[in-house]
Amino acid sequence: MAKILEGPAMKLFNKWGIPVPNYVVIMDPNRLEQLGEANKWLRESKLVVKAHEAIGGRYKLGLVKLGLNLEGALAAAKEMIGHTIGTSVVRQVIVAEMLDHDEEYYVSIAGNRDGAEILFSNKGGVDIEDNWDSVKRMFIPIDENPTIERLTDLALEAGFTPEIAERVGKIASRLILCFDNEDAQSIEINPLVIRKSDMRFAALDAVMNIDWDARFRHADWDFKPVSEIGRSYTEAEQQIMDIDARIKGSVKFVEVPGGDVALLTAGGGASVFYSDAVVARGGTIANYAEYSGDPPDWAVEALTETICMLPNIRHIIVGGAIANFTDVKATFNGIINGFRESKSRGYLENVKIWVRRGGPNEAQGLAMMKKLQEEGFDIHVYDRSMPMTDIVDLAMNA
Amino acid sequence: MSILANKETRAVIIGGAAGLNAARRMAQFDFLINKPLTVQAFVYPPEEGQQKEIYRGGELNNVHVYASLDKAIEENPQINTALIYIGASRAYQSAKEALETKGIKLVSMITEGVPEKDAKRLCKIAQQNGKLFNGPSSIGIMSAGECRLGVIGGEYKNLKLCNLYRSGSFGVITKSGGLSNETMWLCAQNGDGITSAVAIGGDAYPGTDFVTYLQMFENDPETKAVVIVGEVGGTLEEEAAEWLKEQKRRIRVIAAIGGTCQEVLPQGMKFGHAGAKEGKKGLGSARSKINALREAGAIVPDTFGGLSKAIKQVYQELISTGVIKPEAEIDEKLLPTLPPSVQEVMKQGEVIVEPLIRTTISDDRGEEPRYVGYAASELCEEGYGIEDVIGLLWNKKLPTREESEIIKRIIMISADHGPAVSGAFGAIIGACAGIDLPQAVSAGMTMIGPRFGGAVTNAGKYFKFGVKEYPNDIAGFLSWMKQNVGPVPGIGHRVKSVKNPDKRVKYLVEYVKNHTSLHTPCLDYALEVEKITTAKKDNLILNVDGTIGCILVDLDFPEYSLNGFFVLARTIGMIGHWIDQNNQNARLIRLYDYLINYAVKEERPVPEKK
Repeated sequence: MAKILEGPAMKLFNKWGIPVPNYVVIMDPNRLEQLGEANKWLRESKLVVKAHEAIGGRYKLGLVKLGLNLEGALAAAKEMIGHTIGTSVVRQVIVAEMLDHDEEYYVSIAGNRDGAEILFSNKGGVDIEDNWDSVKRMFIPIDENPTIERLTDLALEAGFTPEIAERVGKIASRLILCFDNEDAQSIEINPLVIRKSDMRFAALDAVMNIDWDARFRHADWDFKPVSEIGRSYTEAEQQIMDIDARIKGSVKFVEVPGGDVALLTAGGGASVFYSDAVVARGGTIANYAEYSGDPPDWAVEALTETICMLPNIRHIIVGGAIANFTDVKATFNGIINGFRESKSRGYLENVKIWVRRGGPNEAQGLAMMKKLQEEGFDIHVYDRSMPMTDIVDLAMNA
Repeated sequence: MSILANKETRAVIIGGAAGLNAARRMAQFDFLINKPLTVQAFVYPPEEGQQKEIYRGGELNNVHVYASLDKAIEENPQINTALIYIGASRAYQSAKEALETKGIKLVSMITEGVPEKDAKRLCKIAQQNGKLFNGPSSIGIMSAGECRLGVIGGEYKNLKLCNLYRSGSFGVITKSGGLSNETMWLCAQNGDGITSAVAIGGDAYPGTDFVTYLQMFENDPETKAVVIVGEVGGTLEEEAAEWLKEQKRRIRVIAAIGGTCQEVLPQGMKFGHAGAKEGKKGLGSARSKINALREAGAIVPDTFGGLSKAIKQVYQELISTGVIKPEAEIDEKLLPTLPPSVQEVMKQGEVIVEPLIRTTISDDRGEEPRYVGYAASELCEEGYGIEDVIGLLWNKKLPTREESEIIKRIIMISADHGPAVSGAFGAIIGACAGIDLPQAVSAGMTMIGPRFGGAVTNAGKYFKFGVKEYPNDIAGFLSWMKQNVGPVPGIGHRVKSVKNPDKRVKYLVEYVKNHTSLHTPCLDYALEVEKITTAKKDNLILNVDGTIGCILVDLDFPEYSLNGFFVLARTIGMIGHWIDQNNQNARLIRLYDYLINYAVKEERPVPEKK
């Protein structure tokens, strides 16, 4: 799932004819003044200013300001830009027209295994969860997009008046086109509002997830998805991501503050099981990590050094399944170099290292690892005969 | 017995280098179970027409690469399976083609990063055509004793350790590729091994789900139990639980589900496979999957490590109830051993190979080249120069400071002799014809021979001979030379003479004799010879080739290395001429007619061919 920010989502909506309010995204508050000179709506409409960042619960954090005139918007933008929330800094704000409206609706579409499902409700807005019974849904098999008539019928079913149902059907059909053509995974518009005086619709707020793997066929995706971990990435995480982008195979790293068991695990499947095992045995993980696809040893070394620097760790779990083609000797070589380097820089004091691994060149790799005992590492090495996550049990009981 | 892949499976691999690697791994398995080669063809347009070398044990096979699947199937109609190894942007088209090709029943895709929409469409196309689409992101499919599709199972040693040479009683279905291998091992370690193992891939929408494969295993009488390794995200595990609950099933189900850690992680923090994403309201959470499977009667340990015990427990129950009748283990020593490569055997010291060449001067197998044992960088650090490298590589000796100074001067004064001489002129003609540096310089280099620059070796050789055989008898030497060789190499010049001496010769002789302590018997002998020859004819002086030759002999360089100094020195000049011509953007040159005497026959009619 790759969530994108409102600005790029609005741009894609616009491309597919889904009504959106007027909006601008700015990094420099002063730019808003000049935009005001150029755009009548900025001068004449009520405005909303929102931090254009992947920060959850923006309203409560004071990063959404409603009902402003241009001056007020300018002040809000100045206040928000540069503001720090945890590890995130607000760098952009989105300034949008606050449409006076009469009703709020809910329209969403989400992919599933056989296609997608579209949902309508005429009771949208912040209370949608409470009005979940009002939601009507329709399954859309892959490559079989419904007609506007069928969507209008669904809207009627959901309790929209005939006049509005027809318009909602039309907007939904465009939403399906957007979903389908932009390789979206889900789009949720809440609310879709209507001003009845001129029958103007607008998607006031939307959450859109796109399939980042499909980027090779979208020349106009000039944006990046927001962090998948619910906060912006730390410097160490960013460094590992930069390495990951350059190599064959992959290395991944996410920090989990407060934990004392560090993971230096291999494989997308096994690494999660190691995290589970730590939690199941009452431990707390200091990070999630994964190297897979036979990455070069220097990349594994960099990952190792990053992990050794995690604060307050007591154990490092060098775990992995029996690899199909990742060379145990070569990747362990990277880990060993990383351990040595970290030790020479004063890390790994009082840290116990637990190793379990199998795969190509396992005997040599494990023997090399075991030799670290002679260099004063508190390291415990097991081969394939040790059940995979049982080194976690050993660590927790140590 | 097995599901999906068996002894009759013949595959085409669509893709490049990764596919070739897989084909080689698959051939190792074919060797282990004595099966004909599984991979019968490759489809990869950039390498159309090539043949890929694949060893099945010691037997070398050449497998064709085709530009299209149609062509591959036309020539190999026995193919019934396609493996997709091509990049994500072309994977959909390749898999679609394969699913729509008659005769292909199973398409398995290893490609990672395939857009979800493409996977969904392929799933639909497979259903419409009554085919199976496995993957994307699948490491492969293994049927013990029957067929390996992909690199699943890892290295050869592991195939044996996991008892994959013969069928067991456990089916395996995993999302993760690494864990498919791990689980096969667990089934061998704690049970009697597997029938088949399928990796369905960790994407959000795998082409084929757990239920489809569970049903296949249920229908395979040899499979008595199935181990599922699932994870958070999607509902495939819940559907598997439903299937298990629906009616009484013959097979036992054991499962491990990853992702319970997400319960305690900060909200929104997700990691693992692409498909490992919890939905709204806990839909697809690891916990809900574990609960559903447990309620349905599956054994689900609380950690992956607990799988060992669970498998062992089920295995022993199945034995005690007589469902599994344990067979005698095959002695692993009877299994074929993969022939190692020459390099591997040599490493173990178990084979002697007669070397093809022998070297005595340099070795770059370490971190940097070593010249007769000395590391190049250390020579640089210790203040040695290019003369020392020449001394080492040509004569295996480090020259003294004095000797180095002489070598340096010999190269400096020989580096170039203007554009008119054969070598430089050859290089210039080449440069003007637009020839690249190495070729143009070699054109000049081919000129070096008896009339141009090639006299150094012979001069050194014969003066050395004179010193040895005719000491104090110049006349005797000259008469021997006249009888056996002809003019004395190193004596005589086209333009220079006693009155118009060659400054280079004068300088070199003066330098060596007055500024060094070098013992110069050969040079002295040549100078004595010169006294006699110049008395006969003014231009029969000791020329620069002769001088250099003698000095080099006195420096103890081997005779046959002497021309090397001219070649080396003059290369500097020729490269200079090539660069010079290129800098000037010199144009193609040809001889003017007036520079040629056309001493040819008059124009005449061509006679009829007899």
